[in-house]
Amino acid sequence: MFGNLKYTFRGGTHVNEHKDTAGLQTVRLPEPATVSVPLSQHIGAHAKPVVQKGDTVAVGQVIGVVENGLGCPVHASVSGTVKEILTRHNAQGIPVQNVVIENDGLHTMSKDIKPWGKPLEETTTEEIVQIVRDAGISGLGGATFPTYAKIQSAVGKATSVIINCAECEPYITANHRLLLERSYAVIQGLEVLMHALNVKEGLLAVEDNKPDAIELLQKAVADKPNIRVCVMKTKYPQGDERQIVYALYHKEVPAGKLPADVGCMIINAETAAAISRAFYRGLPLVSRIVTVAGDCVKNPQNVRAPLGASYRELIDFCGGCVKEPKKLVSGGPMMGQAQWDMDAPVTNGTSALLVFSEEYDRINTEHSPCIHCGCCVQHCPMHLLPNYLAQYAQARRYDDAAKLDVMSCVECGTCSYNCPAGVQIVQYIRVAKGALRAKK
Amino acid sequence: MDLKQQTSAAPTPALLTVSPSPHARRGMTTASVMRDVLIALIPATVWGCYVFGWRAALVVLISVVSAVLFEMLTQLILHRTVTVADCSAAVTGLLLGLNLSSAVPLYVPVVGAAFAIIVVKQLLGGIGKNIMNPALAARVFLMLAWTDGMTQYPAAYDYAFDAVASATPLMSLKSGVMPEGVGLLELFFGKTGGCIGEVSVLMLLIGGVYLLCRRVIRWHIPVAMLGTVALLTFLFPLPLADAFNATLAERLTFMTSSLCSGGLMLGAIFMATDYVTSPVTDVGRLIYGVGCGLLVVFIRYFGGYNEGVSFAILIMNALVWYLDMATKPRVYGKDRRAHKKA
Repeated sequence: MFGNLKYTFRGGTHVNEHKDTAGLQTVRLPEPATVSVPLSQHIGAHAKPVVQKGDTVAVGQVIGVVENGLGCPVHASVSGTVKEILTRHNAQGIPVQNVVIENDGLHTMSKDIKPWGKPLEETTTEEIVQIVRDAGISGLGGATFPTYAKIQSAVGKATSVIINCAECEPYITANHRLLLERSYAVIQGLEVLMHALNVKEGLLAVEDNKPDAIELLQKAVADKPNIRVCVMKTKYPQGDERQIVYALYHKEVPAGKLPADVGCMIINAETAAAISRAFYRGLPLVSRIVTVAGDCVKNPQNVRAPLGASYRELIDFCGGCVKEPKKLVSGGPMMGQAQWDMDAPVTNGTSALLVFSEEYDRINTEHSPCIHCGCCVQHCPMHLLPNYLAQYAQARRYDDAAKLDVMSCVECGTCSYNCPAGVQIVQYIRVAKGALRAKK
Repeated sequence: MDLKQQTSAAPTPALLTVSPSPHARRGMTTASVMRDVLIALIPATVWGCYVFGWRAALVVLISVVSAVLFEMLTQLILHRTVTVADCSAAVTGLLLGLNLSSAVPLYVPVVGAAFAIIVVKQLLGGIGKNIMNPALAARVFLMLAWTDGMTQYPAAYDYAFDAVASATPLMSLKSGVMPEGVGLLELFFGKTGGCIGEVSVLMLLIGGVYLLCRRVIRWHIPVAMLGTVALLTFLFPLPLADAFNATLAERLTFMTSSLCSGGLMLGAIFMATDYVTSPVTDVGRLIYGVGCGLLVVFIRYFGGYNEGVSFAILIMNALVWYLDMATKPRVYGKDRRAHKKA
């Protein structure tokens, strides 16, 4: 029995996984006719365009730069001509400048792309940070925090680097496929990070619903004494950084602090692969793996798509819709954003595109008053009292909600998922958090 | 192009539905919870009707139907959405019916249902807002209003319904004698006088196990409540003649009969676990269960009534909010002491 003990945390819930695409090879999206690359794909400052209408661009050429503040450059994901620069709403509903590039289909690589000349041992931390920043890498798990800043903030603090391969959201199998198809890249990325932060412990944290990936990784790191594979229990939200830290080290990240403050640097598996690509091949981040799934999609699968390709292109590539779509979710079903049309472009944060029909979505339309059952309390990974938080938010008593630590909520949605009354608990909490932030 | 032909078999609306995450649900609903409670009460109801005859069935039926009708009526008058489909009124009605003697006049369940649904539930804001368990509040109201009718129980298998007040096991226990002619097995299977739904411990336990398996209730409240009663009646079998020198066998018999008699099982499994009027934290639920158990024993030993389950649960209902706040879990990443200062 003790052989089965796995790393886990208190709270959370096992969500119906729907990981049907795990067995299918990742397919590359055929070159789209045009791409619309948003000039802000991460948390932080928006980039300013450095190309003009009519310019010829090559794959990997910088088309937007951030002069001040937190941010990294944006690169062209296809080669061709800049058709226009327009403003449109991104997946989060915020207006962002987009560079629309007409694809010439030649896939001409930019001349700036060349591998980093020096071996890893002779590279300094500053140089690695610069490489990661120049490659435009931000967290590909969905939170899209610029990775160079994350590395910078962890220098001197981190004692271990953890690669987050939990992928606890239902439907998404992008990381799972990445581990199966390109595990070497993930491990190389981990080694680059371990060198940059000068740490001696590297962990690959995988949920136990990916036994094939675990076996493969264990074989791959067998001769690397500094790197271990940690098998975690499959439970949502295991992929949350705070829950990973608790599961692996039984340490809590103090409220308002970062995992680096307790010595952990956590990075998504695909981000690690992107770092390896940037370091060894000089390639900036111009594409990502997107899981296209949901009950409407004819052939659900993982697609490697250039950033800026429209959602519609990916869905059509997967055979289109077999049922009338009602909802398109960018990201996982637990934390993803519902889109009002299918024309938004793929960005760093687009880990999945889920198309749901009326039939599937019916479960989300029943609402009744809270019956105080305590399901949300039982499952809250942050150990809050979500039912009271929602009630205070409904009554606009935000200060009372603050006393119950509403700001500690990570908005994972476990409460709403479990609520028998269908109360949008997490949305009420978001409202309360927004109101409290505005007050400050 | 091939690509175009194989795509978009279904039409795409111009605008899709936007809603906040999460976009997935576990599938448990208020209605499914209430249906599970109804299913869990079937064994006890059937047994009650078997033991007390068709009149018991009539009392339960009147209680359920009038609870549902009153709910519908109040909601229509108050211009609220009619929510009888969620079965919560049916649960209240069934629990109320099971808490009555089969010999009550037939208007008693109607009055009880009206009090439970209109006064306790709807006037306090509807489902989820009531501060007391509606069925229990109605039972106490009826006991105060029709004390005689509510406390006279026909004997088991007395299909003549002459409401001859046969002494219930609880009355005997209170005066310190073991129920006469009623063995532990009779108590366990429910071949005694009492309220329709409370007599058979076995049938109530079956329902409780069903609720636990369906994850409708959790173990904390029933275990804490029954455990407290068991412990107290074992350690201090006060009503017994020579309480402090009672033998182990006497103590065990007294404890088991106390657990198996009266409304304790019905209360612990189905009434104290009512979501709306019980705490949400695990620790809070344990304290709440212990509190219910303590009060049950105190009222049975020292109170004017033979039975204390209803009063015990109603008193603890009033403390739910305080229990929740006092036992709120330590938030991840926060220090409990630092938290109190803030």
